[in-house]
Amino acid sequence: MTVSTLSIVEQPCFQFKASFIPCAVLQLLHYDLDAIHDQISATIRCAPNLFKGSFVIIDLEKLNPADILNYAKLKHIVATNGMVPIAIRAGSAEQQQAAVMDGLSLLPAAKLNITELDKQKNVQQTRQTKLVTHPVRSGMQIYAKDGDLIVTAAVSPGAELFSDGCIHVYGALRGRALAGVQGNMQARIFCRSLEAELVSISGYYLTKEDMQTFTAKDGMVQIFLENEKVRIEAI
Amino acid sequence: MTKTIVVTSGKGGVGKTTTSASFAVGLACRGFKTVVIDFDIGLRNLDLIMGCERRVVYDFVNVIRNEANLNQALIRDKHVKDLFILPASQTRDKDALTLEGVEKILNELSKTFDYIVCDSPAGIERGAQLAMYFADSAIVVTNPEVSSVRDSDRILGLLSSKTKRAEEGREPISEHLLLTRYSAKRVARGDMLSLSDVNEILAIPLLGIIPESQAVLRASNGGEPVIMDEMSDAGQAYADAVARFFR
Repeated sequence: MTVSTLSIVEQPCFQFKASFIPCAVLQLLHYDLDAIHDQISATIRCAPNLFKGSFVIIDLEKLNPADILNYAKLKHIVATNGMVPIAIRAGSAEQQQAAVMDGLSLLPAAKLNITELDKQKNVQQTRQTKLVTHPVRSGMQIYAKDGDLIVTAAVSPGAELFSDGCIHVYGALRGRALAGVQGNMQARIFCRSLEAELVSISGYYLTKEDMQTFTAKDGMVQIFLENEKVRIEAI
Repeated sequence: MTKTIVVTSGKGGVGKTTTSASFAVGLACRGFKTVVIDFDIGLRNLDLIMGCERRVVYDFVNVIRNEANLNQALIRDKHVKDLFILPASQTRDKDALTLEGVEKILNELSKTFDYIVCDSPAGIERGAQLAMYFADSAIVVTNPEVSSVRDSDRILGLLSSKTKRAEEGREPISEHLLLTRYSAKRVARGDMLSLSDVNEILAIPLLGIIPESQAVLRASNGGEPVIMDEMSDAGQAYADAVARFFR
């Protein structure tokens, strides 16, 4: 019985798989077919194998939107140099329409993508606060993803705090505190007793040596980023 | 209810075995049936400190591997009634210990003993983690110097995360600080950390302070836990620490 049931199950012809394939972006700075031809040929001569067979996206972001492009010739130039033109990116509505007519796909502009992601990230960043009430001992790591971190106990030397948002420490801060680890430059560190081994905001950091002028006696401080420099200030 | 106590420190040479031996004697002298286990597989020392090295036949690893039963491996202490020693193996390494094996032995010991004292090896690897895993209480042995304090801090972190009580979300292990090799003179001179320096970092209840004492070395070499040297400063300090454990 089992065997016959199995035999009538249809064998699928294909399966869809997500994949990330590297491709080159040919960003056009000004439109001059001959110059483009010469430059590509020269580049390929220098590194014949680097671009061989690679997919190419033609980026029109820096191009004058009024330029009228001959896509057939452009594709020919790219293809004769051993590459495969597949799509264009950015450009005016006219430029995009013409590209589609000439068999190129249309990719959304890179910049749009980033701002959209940033928006999503900002929404997430305010989502949750992590509260830690026990001492954070040497060797422990605590990460507050997508939010702030509040520690109401001491943080020992050799312990590490990470947060996508701000970090608040109400016991002595003797370990490391890294705020805005996903790149939030507005993140700050607040602490009552700064004895930290290292503090960092969005990748910019100060070591204990850099902080020598600030001692625990200074009381409540905030640490923030100003002109890409980490600043410590009493509050 | 049997209580399991781990004597631990992270750093080596701070006095874990000395403490385990004296503490076990102190508990047994109070009438509790006590067993002290040497978890330092491959670097067996507890039997020397307890003065029973000539009577070791089977060891901890033999029992885990079912090569001997517990009663064959347990050594009865000569001085104190109700005290037993489970020695470590000198020929194996710490990988010979398994979680299941340790659990099986502790369960079996729980049937007859009031207190199980686990003498942890130094470090934070398998041997140390298994020694603390089933503990109800921990005695964190610390010397008044920075590296020992930092290692103890690391151990306290493990006690609150990598133990059975922590994993099951039960009441946390009760933590006790035992400061050993303390010299008030050197603290006054500023070349040794003071109790408050240590407390500032570790912030756990103090069980006792054992002074730096010649009696400790004498006791170790003589194979009699220092707590039995009632006239010595270190011996008295250990007796006080045991008394404080019950407060």
